[in-house]
Amino acid sequence: MPLIDIHEVSKVYGFGDATTVALDEVSLSIDKGEFIAVMGPSGSGKTTLMNILGLLDRPTHGTYLLNDKDVARLPRFRQSKTRRDQVGFIFQSFNLLPKLTVLENVALPLAYKGVTQTRRLKAAARALEQVGLTDREYYLPNQLSGGQLQRAAIARALVNGPSIIIADEPTGNLDSVSARVVMELLSEIHKMGNTVLMVTHNPSLTRYADRIIYMLDGCIVYDEASVVGEIPARVQRAVSALRESDDDEKIANVSAMMQTMPDKTSSKTKTKNKKQKGRYSRGKKR
Amino acid sequence: MIFEYFKMALSSVRGARFRSALTMFGIIIGVSSVVVIVSMGEGVKRQIASQMNAVSDSLIVVRPGKNTEAKAFSLDGLRSFVGRTGSLSEKDWQDMLTTPGVKSAVPIGIVSGIVSYEDQEYTGGSIIATTDKMASILNQKILFGEFFAGDDHNKNVAIIGQDVAEKLFKENVPVGKSLVIRGKSFIVQGIFEQQKSATFATVNVNNSIVIPYQTAMQIGDNIQILQIYAEAESADKTDTVADNVAEKLKTNHAGQEDFTVLKKGQALEATNDVFYQITLFIAGVAFISFIVGGIGIMNIMFATVSERTREIGIRKAIGATNAQILGQFVMESIVLSIIGGMIGIGIALLMNAVVQITTDLHPVATIEVIVIAAGFSIFTGIISGLLPAAKAARKDPISALRADI
Repeated sequence: MPLIDIHEVSKVYGFGDATTVALDEVSLSIDKGEFIAVMGPSGSGKTTLMNILGLLDRPTHGTYLLNDKDVARLPRFRQSKTRRDQVGFIFQSFNLLPKLTVLENVALPLAYKGVTQTRRLKAAARALEQVGLTDREYYLPNQLSGGQLQRAAIARALVNGPSIIIADEPTGNLDSVSARVVMELLSEIHKMGNTVLMVTHNPSLTRYADRIIYMLDGCIVYDEASVVGEIPARVQRAVSALRESDDDEKIANVSAMMQTMPDKTSSKTKTKNKKQKGRYSRGKKR
Repeated sequence: MIFEYFKMALSSVRGARFRSALTMFGIIIGVSSVVVIVSMGEGVKRQIASQMNAVSDSLIVVRPGKNTEAKAFSLDGLRSFVGRTGSLSEKDWQDMLTTPGVKSAVPIGIVSGIVSYEDQEYTGGSIIATTDKMASILNQKILFGEFFAGDDHNKNVAIIGQDVAEKLFKENVPVGKSLVIRGKSFIVQGIFEQQKSATFATVNVNNSIVIPYQTAMQIGDNIQILQIYAEAESADKTDTVADNVAEKLKTNHAGQEDFTVLKKGQALEATNDVFYQITLFIAGVAFISFIVGGIGIMNIMFATVSERTREIGIRKAIGATNAQILGQFVMESIVLSIIGGMIGIGIALLMNAVVQITTDLHPVATIEVIVIAAGFSIFTGIISGLLPAAKAARKDPISALRADI
């Protein structure tokens, strides 16, 4: 029995001439313990698929079985509760609440579950230990680096013991060193038996996945198993053949360059860090 | 979970202290003004009641004019304030003396005239013509000297209030000095003890010059009888005696009841009614600031909700239900209004203390008033928090997560 089984799921936005098909009868089944990388250019439907799998959105058509239960048309509050108990989200921009400490942030999903404060803080401390942030428990998010923030976010995703962890470009805002730490952590979590679904632009990250899905125009065009630690040649080819935007190319090139020259990137890393801090402090003002 | 909301709300209120303080302002003003006004009203009510308690239970008051339901905002009500043009006569008083069950009857007559001492004139009060029983019936004590006795009834003597002593004689105990009314001189025989506060029901002796009724008739002009006090032989007969008096006076007034016979309790009620309605009206005006305060909170809550769109998105993504988001924001607005209410009550108690120290009034903040004010501030918080919280709860998590702010 697969953990997730979606069948001919479509998502359509708008009406009449303005209709946009974000997902076009996608069928996919995910087994427990898989690490899936979802690749594809912008607008290919990755995010929509992720939102539907994460119960943030509902499909227009099709069925979605999560743990053998149909969750596609649940009432909103049931959907929220299922999301709380079964799904852990990791975002590109971390999305920790700036006014709560790291520990409180990690404990938040349990607060919505109604777990008492002592118990949920204990659980949060355990999750933070898992990601190696025990010494940062009482820091506020703006006192942490990007990599630490993402690790805290991973702890938050783990704290509920979810069926699936959905990561949306988890390394998109990180320098290569932090990105590597975060990816190793995700990989470790995967090895502990968790199911991970990661949406990414970066082909080099597919080396951590044991299954790769490539999407284009709302359809899954490739779906193949891969060996952890390798980037399948086919993906490489497909990526270079199908890539349309120059931005993607630049991102890929930069990250590739950074990986080959770890010594000379330290200065670059710093500037990137500063950018992230700037971004964060902007966020903090709200 | 409610406790969780409370903590969340407290931390976000604390996070924006200045803004929260400004938001609470309306509630603070509303609560403090309502509490102060109502407790001043209550204070005056109690003062009147305690004064009435000092008066014996067997007291009957006859006033001119038919006392209809006292309403503060009708002409009738105002007339009962001002004192009606007299339709009570000396005959009424004499007849009351002979009414069965009446122990004694005392007229309160107003003599027109100017009181002077050397070249000073006193214009701030009234000259009252009455008989020797007045002090005992009203339970009014004499501070210095003594009230005129029965055989003083046609002597030129006067008992004055402390205000008169200070303003006219510029001294505290002008006993033995003489003042001039309508060309006749009167010797000051006694000074009234300070009456705690002026009431509408009884005569304000602080600024009165009281002279014997007979003497007043001698110095000419007719005496306008403001009211007649009568004392029943015993307290339990008061009701029947009051009826007797009413019957008797009715025959004097050609069968018309153009006067009012009040027993002690009724006199209290009539006064309190008018006063209480005024208090209620002012308190009602103060309640408007609750509405203003509520709108202020609602406004800020709307702003908060759109500012924290991203936060709402995050909370929803990690599993908060719509109801939980709603609860969180409503609680935030309740916390704002509760804190505002508590500050308001604090300010009101402070103002009460200041009023008590600086004036004759003794405001009494009853538990009821405080509970009602606190209840209203919570109610305002809930009502003004609901709409913004519903807006927050309805936000779509996907677009909320994408929001820039």
